[in-house]
Amino acid sequence: MSKHHDLARLMPRRKFLEMGLKGGMVIAVAPPLLSKMISCSGPVTAPALDMDKASLDRVISRALQHGGDFADVYLESRNSRQIIMEESMFKSGLYGISQGAGVRVIAGDKTGYAYTEDITEENLMRAADIASYVARSGKPIAPVNIAETKRDSFVSVVKPLEEIADSRRIGMMQRANQAALDYDPRIRMALIDYSDQVRSRVIANSEGLYLRDELPLIFFIVQTMSDDGSNRHMSRERISEHSGFELFEKETPESVARRAARESIAMLDAEDAPAGMMDVVMENGWGGVLIHEAVGHPLEADNIARGIGAFTGKVGQKVATDVFTMVDDGTLPNFRGTINFDDEGTQAQRNVLIEKGVLKGYMTDVLTGRQLDLPRTGNGRRESFRYIPIPRMTNTFIEPGKDRPEDILADTKKGIYVQSLSGGSVNSVTGMFNFTCREAYLIENGRKTRPIKGATLIGSCLGVIQSIDAVGNDLDFGPGICGKGQSAEVTAGQPTLRIRGINVGGSRA
Amino acid sequence: MNVHDLAERLVRRGLRFGADDVEIYVQTSRNLSVRVRNADIETIQEAASGGVGFRVLVNGSMGFSHCNDFNEKALDETMKKAIAFARLTTPDEFNALPGNLPHHDVEGLYDPSIAGIDTGKKIDMALELEELTMQDARVTHSSGASFGEWESEMVIANSHGLLKSYRSSSCSVGVSVVAQKGDQRNTGGRSTSRRFFADLEPLDEVAAEAAKRAWEMLDPQMVRTQRAPVIYDPRVARSLIGGIISAINGDRVNQGASFLQDSLNEPFASELLTIVDDATRARGLGSKPFDGEGMPAFKRTLVEQGVLKGFLHNTYSAKRAGTESTGNASRGGFTRLPGIGTHNLYAEPGQHTPEQIIANTQRGLLLTGVTGYGINAVNGNYSGGASGFWIENGQIAHPVQGLTIAGSARDILQGIDMMGNDVDMSLSFTAPTFRIREMQIGGA
Repeated sequence: MSKHHDLARLMPRRKFLEMGLKGGMVIAVAPPLLSKMISCSGPVTAPALDMDKASLDRVISRALQHGGDFADVYLESRNSRQIIMEESMFKSGLYGISQGAGVRVIAGDKTGYAYTEDITEENLMRAADIASYVARSGKPIAPVNIAETKRDSFVSVVKPLEEIADSRRIGMMQRANQAALDYDPRIRMALIDYSDQVRSRVIANSEGLYLRDELPLIFFIVQTMSDDGSNRHMSRERISEHSGFELFEKETPESVARRAARESIAMLDAEDAPAGMMDVVMENGWGGVLIHEAVGHPLEADNIARGIGAFTGKVGQKVATDVFTMVDDGTLPNFRGTINFDDEGTQAQRNVLIEKGVLKGYMTDVLTGRQLDLPRTGNGRRESFRYIPIPRMTNTFIEPGKDRPEDILADTKKGIYVQSLSGGSVNSVTGMFNFTCREAYLIENGRKTRPIKGATLIGSCLGVIQSIDAVGNDLDFGPGICGKGQSAEVTAGQPTLRIRGINVGGSRA
Repeated sequence: MNVHDLAERLVRRGLRFGADDVEIYVQTSRNLSVRVRNADIETIQEAASGGVGFRVLVNGSMGFSHCNDFNEKALDETMKKAIAFARLTTPDEFNALPGNLPHHDVEGLYDPSIAGIDTGKKIDMALELEELTMQDARVTHSSGASFGEWESEMVIANSHGLLKSYRSSSCSVGVSVVAQKGDQRNTGGRSTSRRFFADLEPLDEVAAEAAKRAWEMLDPQMVRTQRAPVIYDPRVARSLIGGIISAINGDRVNQGASFLQDSLNEPFASELLTIVDDATRARGLGSKPFDGEGMPAFKRTLVEQGVLKGFLHNTYSAKRAGTESTGNASRGGFTRLPGIGTHNLYAEPGQHTPEQIIANTQRGLLLTGVTGYGINAVNGNYSGGASGFWIENGQIAHPVQGLTIAGSARDILQGIDMMGNDVDMSLSFTAPTFRIREMQIGGA
């Protein structure tokens, strides 16, 4: 139960509404302000985020005019591009500019939020008025004046994206496309999706924090489709980092494409998967999405603060096997899930969530930290200025164990070997999760044998972490997109591991 | 300056900057969202936003850009980015913008009254819905209730003289609750969405359904792995029907990446299955006078008694397939290129009540929850997580959780042997209850 809960209860809702309406505040505002939006103007050359600190101070004071516990202002500008290559043709090039700013007020368990896409002090004042609607009970709160705040950075850039000609981006895509088609004549098509962006953020809050930074991000996706006349398989490989164009020196476009093509060809021989409970060995890497879904989401503090999450009240308890240690770490250099500081300004850090099977803590943001009386862990993230921050993962992984991957396989008589996954989801209240295999094989007598068609694996989060009985020494990661009403860039990682008994959705008995 | 003038001016500007063809897509919108929990406000969010998408063709190549800054200089620079991109992409003879064909207006897309309704009343609705749901003693916790509203105006103009616009609105109210019993927790939720505020379903009915969905799944029992009939409740119809829609997407068919690409005019499914896409239904949540690039949108039968009648096309995919656009260009706002999508899609109702279908099932699964990706449109594989109720002797015996179901899409769709009469036509993607003769079920 949240610590502010009882306070909020003291004021009956009718009373609350009356006060709100008597205050003269009507929040359902004007119909679409078309004419106003179009006539609004500011010189395009002036970077939208250059608002001076005194203005931001005034906005934060205005946001707390009716009371409240916390207020922040978030300014954002994003330049993005995406190039799509399909069937050996550059089908489209997309370029986007998006900017806006939002004001948030937290009062007890309540959050008020409003944003504008035309960043002026006047518009932010109006947003502050709307956001302050949730705080009507107390007297005005005086915020701390903002000042430059220091944070460590975990993102380094050698070749800034702004300096890369589009022809070089296209060159990388061509190389991937050629490598995929050259891999095997049965590769019928490659789909290459290149995107990058630079997101600039300014964060200022009533505790006196002021931060500004720029995060570049590259996302390079290769999908290949094989077709041998009777079977077809679409596979996908991705690389992504917060970095400059030097990403392609760490991993070449050819190697990404060949990995995708290899899976497309290997799975042409896939046969029907068996159905029912069986043992599963998961290869190291993006398979960590299992843990991201099954355990990561339920450890985000929002449903814990609501008192309904699957891990509510379990801190300090043994929830998993001794071999299981799970970490969320927003500081891994240049990783896709790395953020320097979260979108509320909290320094990113390494958070051990489960240590040798014992639950150590949750991932929090400002609101849930207050509600649960826990420290902020640097997990308050938002897709853009159009959303409020919520607790999210960054780079989430299982710590390596002692077992050699080949021994884990050899020690498994019968089951499924999962080499790649499409993705999955979880109900973080009930803890029921699912994920879908893309490349998987039968295990027979400790050996990986025949490929099987994409099957769904399902289970409960509390069950699965009590069934992991072997963890390899070969930790690896994969990049992904996490959706929770808004999207966030993350990585998931794991060593090779074995789950004893999970339900497999095959099409034969 | 009004938005029509702005769109036309930007088309002319794009041509002057060197584009051969220009499409301008302007969207402005306003939304309010309120979330309450435990009889108090949890969040209130409100915003107005808008922007412009530029699609240009240069020597047969396409470029696209978007911007949410209406400053003249910003618009010009964004347009130039699209043109610069078009000089980099590959010429494609099928790149084209549609001509200016007449369309029919659809009645009831916009409720002008929503914005004027007092916000206190909207908050109150969410509070009342939560209170009604929590009155059921079997419900133990609230996950929250919400009210949301959205209204938008979009304008499309292109260099073929097309200039069209419409306004639309929607609003919704919903609730999600938990039923806890010992260590077991189960969630249930229900919402109602409509174009018009006055059309929202009665709160007591929404509340009763949400509460029931939470407690009715408590005390599940496991069943063994077996083959048995599976009855699809309307709320999980999308996991199958969605796979058909994905497989008849014209782009996918053109690329040879659909399990239905060679099935035109063939009976690929049971003759009990007829699927219709209707853009013209008054007040329909998926209705529109024209599609995402300005082509008139229609009512069209996609599957007739199990026979595939046609694919879904936008202007590009149609030209490549050597046919006409079917008015199925979708558009995820001004930041996105046109894709392909449906309007109000429904499977036609059959003869049986859901109760008759259950009574006619000796032993099997009534499926009310699925997880996973549904049908793989490339190869027709189907596998998912399953929950619902186990049927013995034509009666519901107990809830089931943690099962899996799987098969090949063709076998499953051919295997539809009973079609219900209970289709809810207020939804934009809907089907009645139907039964599959036999599927593989994974359990203990």
